[in-house]
Amino acid sequence: MEGNKNGRGRTFLLITIPIVLLFFTFNTLPLIQGVIYSFTNFRGFGSYDWVGLRNYIDLFQDARVGASYWFTFRLAIVSTIVVNVISLLLAMGLNSKIRFKSTLRGLYFLPNVLGGLVVGYIFNYFFTYILPEITKMLGGNGGSMLANTKTAWIAVVVVCAWQAIAMNTIIYISGLQTVPEDVYEAGSLDGATGVNKFRYLTFPLILPFFTINMVLCMKNFLMVFDQIMSLTKGGPAQSTESISYLIYNNGMSGGQFGFQSANAVLFFVVIVAISVCQMTFLGKKEEQL
Amino acid sequence: MAKRKMFSLFMALATVSSILFSGCGSQSDNGKVVIELVHYKPEAVRYFEEVEEQFNSSHDNIELKISSPNDAVTVLKTRFIREDNPDIIGIGGDFNYANFIDADILMDISDFDGLKSIKQTYLDIGENLKFVPVKGVYGVPYMSNAAGILYNKDMFTEHGWKIPETWNELISLCEEIKNAGILPFYMGYKDTWTCLSPWNSAASSLADAEVCKEVNKGNTTFSKEYVTVAEQMKALLKYGPDEPVAYSYNDACTAFARGESAMFMIGSYAVPQIKTVNPDLNIDSFVYPAADTKEGNLLTSGIDLQFCITKDCPHKEEAYEVLRFLLEDENVQAYMDNQNALACKEGNFNLAPIFDGMKEYITESKVTDYQDHFYPSEMSVDAMVQTYLLDGDTESFLNKFDTAWIRYNRDLIEKVKNFEEG
Amino acid sequence: MGKKSDKNVEKYNIGITVLLIIGLVTIIFPLYMTVVIAFKQPSEMTNSMKGLLSLPKSFSLDNFREAMRVTDFWHSLGNSLLITLVTIALSIVVHSLIGYALGRNKSKSKFYNFIYLYLVSGMFVPFAILMMPLVKQTSRMGLSNWVGVVLLYVVFYMPMNTMLYSGYLTNLPLALEEAACVDGASTWKTYWTIIFPNMKPMHATVAILTALGTWNDVMTPLVIMSGDHNTLPLAQLNFQSQFGTNYNLAFASYLLALLPIVIFYIICQKQIIAGVANGAVK
Repeated sequence: MEGNKNGRGRTFLLITIPIVLLFFTFNTLPLIQGVIYSFTNFRGFGSYDWVGLRNYIDLFQDARVGASYWFTFRLAIVSTIVVNVISLLLAMGLNSKIRFKSTLRGLYFLPNVLGGLVVGYIFNYFFTYILPEITKMLGGNGGSMLANTKTAWIAVVVVCAWQAIAMNTIIYISGLQTVPEDVYEAGSLDGATGVNKFRYLTFPLILPFFTINMVLCMKNFLMVFDQIMSLTKGGPAQSTESISYLIYNNGMSGGQFGFQSANAVLFFVVIVAISVCQMTFLGKKEEQL
Repeated sequence: MAKRKMFSLFMALATVSSILFSGCGSQSDNGKVVIELVHYKPEAVRYFEEVEEQFNSSHDNIELKISSPNDAVTVLKTRFIREDNPDIIGIGGDFNYANFIDADILMDISDFDGLKSIKQTYLDIGENLKFVPVKGVYGVPYMSNAAGILYNKDMFTEHGWKIPETWNELISLCEEIKNAGILPFYMGYKDTWTCLSPWNSAASSLADAEVCKEVNKGNTTFSKEYVTVAEQMKALLKYGPDEPVAYSYNDACTAFARGESAMFMIGSYAVPQIKTVNPDLNIDSFVYPAADTKEGNLLTSGIDLQFCITKDCPHKEEAYEVLRFLLEDENVQAYMDNQNALACKEGNFNLAPIFDGMKEYITESKVTDYQDHFYPSEMSVDAMVQTYLLDGDTESFLNKFDTAWIRYNRDLIEKVKNFEEG
Repeated sequence: MGKKSDKNVEKYNIGITVLLIIGLVTIIFPLYMTVVIAFKQPSEMTNSMKGLLSLPKSFSLDNFREAMRVTDFWHSLGNSLLITLVTIALSIVVHSLIGYALGRNKSKSKFYNFIYLYLVSGMFVPFAILMMPLVKQTSRMGLSNWVGVVLLYVVFYMPMNTMLYSGYLTNLPLALEEAACVDGASTWKTYWTIIFPNMKPMHATVAILTALGTWNDVMTPLVIMSGDHNTLPLAQLNFQSQFGTNYNLAFASYLLALLPIVIFYIICQKQIIAGVANGAVK
């Protein structure tokens, strides 16, 4: 038994070390290099000079960077809430006794198959030509949401949500199926119905899936790029520039590679901090139950 | 069990891959020098395919390989990073080009004999793009385009409208068109870069060609130089659709093609896109009349495609041979016909009908470069102009322009300063 | 949730069914637009609602044929399939292993917990900062090809998949392994005979998540692969140049590119959803 245990530990190490090394080589190593570039005025090619902390100091004075953080976080929080509420409802619907179950599930999954760029192009037509005509018919002013700095971000939320709901629904359906029938049976004996049944029986059991969904959503929405690229390109009036968009656009396409590397480093730190909080919080909740 | 499944899957994939990717790898050594040309005009891929074929069939010692990647500037940058430079690159005369010179990536080709056949105007434009006046020539201007105002010729003939030659005439023309119940301009300002088309056209006549350089030297500010340009942009808004920022470039092309507006402020490059929607549309163009007199107007024209040789290219002579071939009159003409472009080479080339209204300016070389070729892309001047058009505050826009300029060009300004001081 | 309190198992909940079918409008409508635009000619495009939603003059397959020609469809499809399938296979093997090692140890070992957090935090590294260094690094290692792209994908998806696998592992009690252990089987063997097959539902989830990410990705192959081996999304960039986009051809091409992944999903769907119930030993 004792020898077996040692062998088990060795096996785990033998699994872990090469995989972590692979990860280190293709993720951490380039990241370190990126961090090094963040102290230079590197353009992405050619020669460069050390500029010390200048990029980081600039970062906190750059209104455009500030605006992109504000936009990205607003988008991520609102989208995460919208997506989780809708997909949880949808999952419960698709998990109940309905007709055409697998067809419906298949169809509701379709948005996720399309790439973010494609979805953006389709919705472009929708927001530019169809929605304004509909609002006009309903007595609105027929303005395009994408042309207004106050509403463009909502359009981005709609597109992000439309696409993301599918995957989250699947994960919730998986979760709901792990809830054994007898829990409900026991619950209904205790008189649990409707909202109470959900709150005290279903939800605690699918909490791990809720955690996964929250983290996935936050991560995907905070790093939103494709939808911005195809839907608004950061406009109108730079009101929908996401952090990733800014990093790519100015760092890769433009010549601000060094500065945007600093931005990426800051973004990384912020996002890790948030996720750690999120996971500890939800993890504690899970343990409580 | 699972392992075996995986293994057989891998084997199957490995077999597939060896079939798919065979043919990749180094060239068969048939003694030929391989010259690789990478250019940024995927829309001209057919032209380049033909050039490649003709060149290779007429040259025994050189093998030309042309690739037309999508998103070529990103591809080029990654090639530079890999130190896997193509021999010849075809890029535009813009900020990237200046950056490449500054990064010491390109070769001085002042001894290339083909340069003599290039119009002096375009050689000057190329020279002017450099951040600081370093010695040498780094690109052979090949094609240029021109921006101004496209108009629906049939519509103009039908109503008897006259081509405006001054700013006031343009405004009264717009009023006239509007009174006829037609929309004067369609605008696709959702794609911010289209904002720069009228901007460049106005700035060509109203601001000095060297304005960016003068600002870098600290001799002037944009708040002084760009006031009229900004005011004109704003003034034209009321002759466009209700929400110009709602429509993209594609939407605007479609609308103009379908006769929904009389004019469209854009460059000659838009013609192919417009023609896909309505092949029969009769389009002509005229120079954006920004000035108060006809003589004050200049045509906005810049280097749309030029060829540069990378610094470490080991086969300079062979690369020159490729350039000579590209500059042969029939190849130049073929490109012009194919892409509605203007040649940078001297000679009697047939111009596409779209340039009829600009002919005078083109033949007399009354042209000046796009101002945005001097703007760093990360400054996003296009988005700033769009913002300005939405809020209409000229003063704060120009102030922002000045502060942002200094912020984004800090290293460059430093460089210029050091250069001036010797 | 509907009222399911009546114990009639055979009865369908019509109310929810109807609601779900009505909700489908939000899915079908954008897809309808895609299909209609894919069949139209550029000259049929107008800037109005009616023009966008009307049926094309004829349902000719010209756009699809042209789209296939422009993208060199079969070749690009082959490349995309190769990259995606190898990535999925490697991801399932590698990520489930590391998920297992970490999932079993992270709660009792500080070391493994650290490794877990280290890997998972990799999820939040913006690709843009890695891009330039990776281009250089892969090229030095001779990996400026599809193998490099696959390796990068395996690394990029490792954080998320590790999280998913190690999370799923809490559903598989240690008792399962211990029984085998008592019989003298090594951990390695136990893993392949007991744990790996039992994680089937998670394999399906990981496969579909990874597939979606890699299938539609433009950036990684664009910057890493040199030469003209296009993947489908790369080839689709052909429809777009700054001075014009042919949305009709582009949409036709997107629909074509959609098919393989839809088929893949249909195959996986049963696994992803239905399989979870069997996999979860509660």
